[in-house]
Amino acid sequence: MFNNYLQVALRNLVANKLYSFINIIGLAVGLAACVMIALFVRDELSYDKHWNKADRIYRLHNTFNIPGREPMHFVKAPGPAKHELIRYFSEDVLATTRIRTFFPILRHKDQVASERIHWTDPETAEIFDFNVIAGDMKDALGDKSSLAVNRSFAERYFGTTDALGEVVNLNIYDIARDYKVAAVFEDLPENTVLDVQAFAAIDEADFTNQSWEFEQWYSTNSYLFFELKPGSSIDTINDQSAPFVNNAIKIDPDAGAFEQASDFLEMRAQSIKDLQLFPQGRIGSEMKPTGSMTSVVMFVAIALLTLLIACINFMNLATAKSTQRAREVALRKVLGAHRGQLMTQFIGESVLIALIGLAVGVALVELMIDPFSDLLGKSLALDYSDGSTIVLLLGLVAFVGSVGGAYPALVLSGFLPARVLKANRSTETSGSVSLRNVLVITQFAISIGLIVATSVVYGQRLYVTSVDPGFSKENIMVVSNLNLSGVQGKQETLREEVQQIPGVTMTSLAPDTPVNGNTGNTTVVREGESDKESMLIGVQVVDHDFFPLYDVELLAGRFYERARKTDVTPVAENAVDGERQRGAIILNEAAAYRMGFASPAAAVGEQLRIFLDREHEALLEIIGVVRDMQYQSMREPMRPEMYQLPTDYYLDLSIKFEGDAQAVIQQVETIWRDLAPGVPFAYSFIDERIEGEFAREEQQSIMLAVFSGLAIVIACLGLYGLASFTAERRTKEIGIRKVMGATVLDIVRLLIWQFSKPVLIANIIAWPLVAYGMITWLESFPYRMESWLIVPLCVIAGVIALMIAWVTVGGNAARVARSNPIKALRYE
Amino acid sequence: MLKLHNLSKVYRTDEVETVALDNVNIEIESGEFVAIMGPSGCGKSTLLNIIGMLDTPSGGDYVFMGENVAGYPESKLSNIRKQNIGFIFQSFNLIDELTVEENIELALLYHNIPSSVRRERVAKVMDKVGIAHRAKHMPSQLSGGQQQRVAVARAVVGDQAMILADEPTGNLDSAHGQEVMEMLQALNAEGTTIVMVTHSPAHADYARRTINLFDGHVVTENLRAAV
Repeated sequence: MFNNYLQVALRNLVANKLYSFINIIGLAVGLAACVMIALFVRDELSYDKHWNKADRIYRLHNTFNIPGREPMHFVKAPGPAKHELIRYFSEDVLATTRIRTFFPILRHKDQVASERIHWTDPETAEIFDFNVIAGDMKDALGDKSSLAVNRSFAERYFGTTDALGEVVNLNIYDIARDYKVAAVFEDLPENTVLDVQAFAAIDEADFTNQSWEFEQWYSTNSYLFFELKPGSSIDTINDQSAPFVNNAIKIDPDAGAFEQASDFLEMRAQSIKDLQLFPQGRIGSEMKPTGSMTSVVMFVAIALLTLLIACINFMNLATAKSTQRAREVALRKVLGAHRGQLMTQFIGESVLIALIGLAVGVALVELMIDPFSDLLGKSLALDYSDGSTIVLLLGLVAFVGSVGGAYPALVLSGFLPARVLKANRSTETSGSVSLRNVLVITQFAISIGLIVATSVVYGQRLYVTSVDPGFSKENIMVVSNLNLSGVQGKQETLREEVQQIPGVTMTSLAPDTPVNGNTGNTTVVREGESDKESMLIGVQVVDHDFFPLYDVELLAGRFYERARKTDVTPVAENAVDGERQRGAIILNEAAAYRMGFASPAAAVGEQLRIFLDREHEALLEIIGVVRDMQYQSMREPMRPEMYQLPTDYYLDLSIKFEGDAQAVIQQVETIWRDLAPGVPFAYSFIDERIEGEFAREEQQSIMLAVFSGLAIVIACLGLYGLASFTAERRTKEIGIRKVMGATVLDIVRLLIWQFSKPVLIANIIAWPLVAYGMITWLESFPYRMESWLIVPLCVIAGVIALMIAWVTVGGNAARVARSNPIKALRYE
Repeated sequence: MLKLHNLSKVYRTDEVETVALDNVNIEIESGEFVAIMGPSGCGKSTLLNIIGMLDTPSGGDYVFMGENVAGYPESKLSNIRKQNIGFIFQSFNLIDELTVEENIELALLYHNIPSSVRRERVAKVMDKVGIAHRAKHMPSQLSGGQQQRVAVARAVVGDQAMILADEPTGNLDSAHGQEVMEMLQALNAEGTTIVMVTHSPAHADYARRTINLFDGHVVTENLRAAV
């Protein structure tokens, strides 16, 4: 019995080459897409689930809710929260630890380099289970002269993982001492948000001159992880955010606009398992780029849709073919086959095709997995020794085989043998014809939807990167890392030397440059108003040359001038009791209106009060108002901002140049290497930085484009197969029409129109759905392309789908139309 | 009306060369009713297809209304065909998905005739063959005789000068067969040239002239006095 089924199935495959080809290739592509996306999704979902205590590890985040502004989320926490959290929630919290990223200067023998090293508390060794190769993590993190390094770090510096006792010298802030390696741990897997190559221990005494690092409540620099006691619920902590914050931070209700700290500060914890897919912070605030649940859901949807299209092909072609199999079915019935046996036979056949499809699909995956991994920045692979992979693959085959085979199995096995044999052919049931139409409509609706989604995602990226941010972004190079220890005190020299390079027209030295992720805020009050009227305004620190270099438009007043001694920023260190320091400030237009000035010009010359510390205030004269510019990420709404002169802290050197960028880079690098050997030379271009903010959208649009392309190819394969079967079925009709005088063109038009109808209907179904979806998606961006543009994009997608359908059907139709009509009419 | 001179048709496959028609000379006048008879495989249908310009001869001349169409390309033949020739088949060859009315209209569809005129002419011809009460029915809902009447209506709706009928009664019982023959005779009486292939000597008797074919040759031509 089985042999007979297998033989018939294989002969059918060979006899109907076109049908088999379309089915197998379609399924292979669909399955390959599914498998690749499944690998991606499984990887994304596996983040940080491998820690022994994963269910009990959380991270404390804080949100500043300032009236009149978007809430500001920070995934790092103030240093004192480490102690306060475990004290306040002693019933529920077992351990807390901070992890702070630093780039100290590392010296080892002749090597000097700026290395990324994380300072942390000893509890890190309790909360996280590192795979220790040598030494002991607790010892290492419990001693301020010890270091725990990973395998790669040990091999790079010491040539061996047997590195216990090796010594390096680290220098950051006031720290300059030897560290001895006391533990070596295995490199962290990829699927964790932690990206650490070496740990050093935090001793708060090392940072007394940098109290903002670990001692101040309003400064958030370290990630704060904590471990819940077994049986405790995270809700206890999240629900008591307000009392916790108010207990920790006491404010004077008469001094400012807020009664208590919880009015503007909220601290909530997030499970370590959610950090990857539900990132709360700004882009760049994690140790490495995160994923997002939106991407996961989007890719799962694409995978399912692609597979659905392939299954549809399968069903469509099988029902279309059913007429040809009718005689076989009828004869088997006459010879005693039960309906159940026939159904088994047909489902078996489709599972066989699905299996072959899978084999080809797996080959495709092996071929495509590397470029796919590169695109996603992951290293994905099919692991055949892994049970769940095998279950996934076989599960897909069983699913596709049964779904694809179900309808033909039901319909074919239900044929009445007498009717089929007498008529010598089966007339198709109108049910199967309309089912096929529904399926084709579904396929094209999906394809059209994917085309529109692709173009909107791409269009949005194009829009945000081309929108005028209010400053010039061309031909500006930014050299970063100026805050690293090796460059301290040499920034001005660097700038002077760079300024001498031919082609460099202007330079600007400042802690802040557009889109570098720094967001300062400060409280100001208009002179003459009470402290109650104070407001929190964004501050960016720029130098005298910033505005001319970035070509920012001045609306009123003037820019900073070096010659004027009054153009300064007051600092707490210079405060004198009972005296108010004076300084200058430039606002943007939004800030001027926010402060209640009627126009930019009205603001110029007015005074603002700022608070240097508890005892001292300073007065700032508004000397100029500039046009609003998108200093922050294009993902954030434009905000009211003030621009103040730097004191002595620098991060970036902006360089405006003319001519060849490569030549300028080379010369700047040479100067850098001379000046700060061992410190990594890092540069970027402002326009590329803005585009980089949308790397995720770019990745998404590439993925969408690839998969919608695949979906369309599969749909076309199906349509081609269907068209050729239909043409076969309509041979007689075509013959008659030709005898009646129809030309080849008439016939082609007839067949094309038959397949245009489902595509047109697919448009009507797809448009509102995809438009709604994409408008919702666009709403997550403060700067977004006009949503009416979706309408022409829909029309274009529809036309593309129609064209593709025409080309697919047209060639086949022309061949049929050209055939001699008497052949069709002679035998009946 | 038409004249075949030394007409031949040879089918070639890779190995075999089959001569379907060999040196056929036939002349058919306007308004004639000609029956073509002969055993299976003698070339009747091939001859009819060539006359109907559905097939092209391998040699010889085919002069249709004064024009030698033997070497004409498909598109030109198609034009002459749709202006002048109507077809009736043994198996009716109606389109299953179209109604009676639409099937008949099909013959006018490719003639650039406005739809109001088309409807008018279809209605008239349906009356004539007595099928008007079935206008909205599908072919599968009709008896064989009724289907063939629809086919006849379709063949004449374009005012074709000549009708080619390939065993028009082959699939019908004798009563319905006779009905169709009478209809053809009436059309002939109105001036339509009719060329019919048949196996039935009784039905051949409706024709004024019978041409007997054997192995691709014309063997006899019998002229009958008016019936």
